[in-house]
Amino acid sequence: MREESHSCQAKIVCEDITKVFIQKGTQRVHVLDHISLDVKENEFVVILGPGQSGKSTLLRIIAGLETPTEGSVRIDGREVDGPGPDRGLVFQGYMLFAWKTVLGNVEMGPKLRGVPKKERREIAAHYIHLVGLDGFENHYPHQLSGGMKQRVGIARAYANNPQVMLLDEPFGQLDAQTRYFMEKETARIWETEKRTILFVTNNIDEAIYLADRIITLEGKLPGRMNVVYNVDLPRPREHTDMAFLKLRHKITEASALTL
Amino acid sequence: MADIANEVQQQVRERRPLTLSVVLKNRWFLYGLSILVFFLVWDMTAAAKAFRSGLPRPHEVALQLWRMLFDPLAGKSLLGHVWASTQRILIGFTIASLVAVPLGLMMALNRYVNAIVKPLFDLLKPMPPLAWISIAILWFGIGETSKVFIIIIGTFVPCLLDAYNGVRLVEPELYDVIRMLGGKRRHEIIQVCFPAAFPAIFAGLQIALSIAWSCVLAAELVSARSGLGFIIILGMNLSRPAMIVGGMVVIALVAWSMSQLVSALERFVCPWKREIDGR
Repeated sequence: MREESHSCQAKIVCEDITKVFIQKGTQRVHVLDHISLDVKENEFVVILGPGQSGKSTLLRIIAGLETPTEGSVRIDGREVDGPGPDRGLVFQGYMLFAWKTVLGNVEMGPKLRGVPKKERREIAAHYIHLVGLDGFENHYPHQLSGGMKQRVGIARAYANNPQVMLLDEPFGQLDAQTRYFMEKETARIWETEKRTILFVTNNIDEAIYLADRIITLEGKLPGRMNVVYNVDLPRPREHTDMAFLKLRHKITEASALTL
Repeated sequence: MADIANEVQQQVRERRPLTLSVVLKNRWFLYGLSILVFFLVWDMTAAAKAFRSGLPRPHEVALQLWRMLFDPLAGKSLLGHVWASTQRILIGFTIASLVAVPLGLMMALNRYVNAIVKPLFDLLKPMPPLAWISIAILWFGIGETSKVFIIIIGTFVPCLLDAYNGVRLVEPELYDVIRMLGGKRRHEIIQVCFPAAFPAIFAGLQIALSIAWSCVLAAELVSARSGLGFIIILGMNLSRPAMIVGGMVVIALVAWSMSQLVSALERFVCPWKREIDGR
């Protein structure tokens, strides 16, 4: 498995990542234990693990918002040493700018990079259309539902044209209906504009529906890599397909103790 | 588009026929009723001489105010006195907020500024502004300066505290967003920190404004030849309750208008808050 992914062009390479938080001066919390993974260009990889398995920390390390205690992250062969616009992060809590409209939120990345107004308006309009929010450009975040807010979050990350998209339990706060729908939308958006995606979730269905490859983490700290599943079901997938359910069963069985 | 239509929450307001229960539940009707009952109780209490001659009836107060509009007291008409107090507040409030708000922001953003200012501020903060009146008169005399000084002292604290807390309470992940999008420290401050702190800053300005009225009144009660506090103290010295209550009513009206002005400014500066509050 590792052999194969090395031969292809690896977009994200995580080598031996260990993370220990120091709390209250002396208390050590061991969050991640020797995690190594490669993600190929345009691959959709889901990191699946229950709460408190260190998966969000792993994503934040790849984002550059946390530094690993040991190990390193490379993107396109370049070592990550801080947050940067080559990675787009979508937050569980949306983290929209309440004082900006949908348009203002989406064009923030290009604006920070100094893209001229006309051009960044075009970029923003393109991604607002991509996530299906036409007509809502001038709405403020508090006027939007949860699903729409996260669409803005996704469009904002996409609009900065990152090499890699990192999504941290993006649909964790949505109701089941909206969640299914947003998964469908995520697959559609990814197929329209292919990116390398690393997606963190605690939901097995979500993982199988979206992933090319699922990496499971053990259910307790420190987070360790468990089994890796290749999902080669044809897209678009159906939650009720036999093959889908079989895989779901397999993953549930394998992680019965932890998920 | 059609797909997300079910996510849009639309509030449709239907027109209902005018029945008694609709009238009774109407907000504006209840506003009017509440004020009407207040004036009725006031008038009945005054007419019954519950405070002997200490409480004038509403129409007596209105008459007194009408007379003061045209007959000058100590060389100033009523509007002159309103302006005297308002002017003191505007000067003191403007100076205090122009210094305190930026200082509060800087304290929250820079730990060295914080380390230098905070101990001093914490030391002086609990002291009631009115405790400064006597020393202010000794320093600056009984003129305008001492009154403006008291207002500055009183309004400085809420302006600074709310600006400071406004920045401290910004969701830290919002800074992460800016950093992930490639922004620098100055972008974090301009794009996140300031706009996120605006509502708190305005809350501080509102509190400061009401404190400013307390301060100017207290200062005028101690020594002044003009202002609404002067009218009140004059009414007491002349045993004219209508003048005292009239002064109180005018203060309430002017203070309310000024706070409405600050709210209007907030709606202008923070348009995203308009609909959150407006329901």
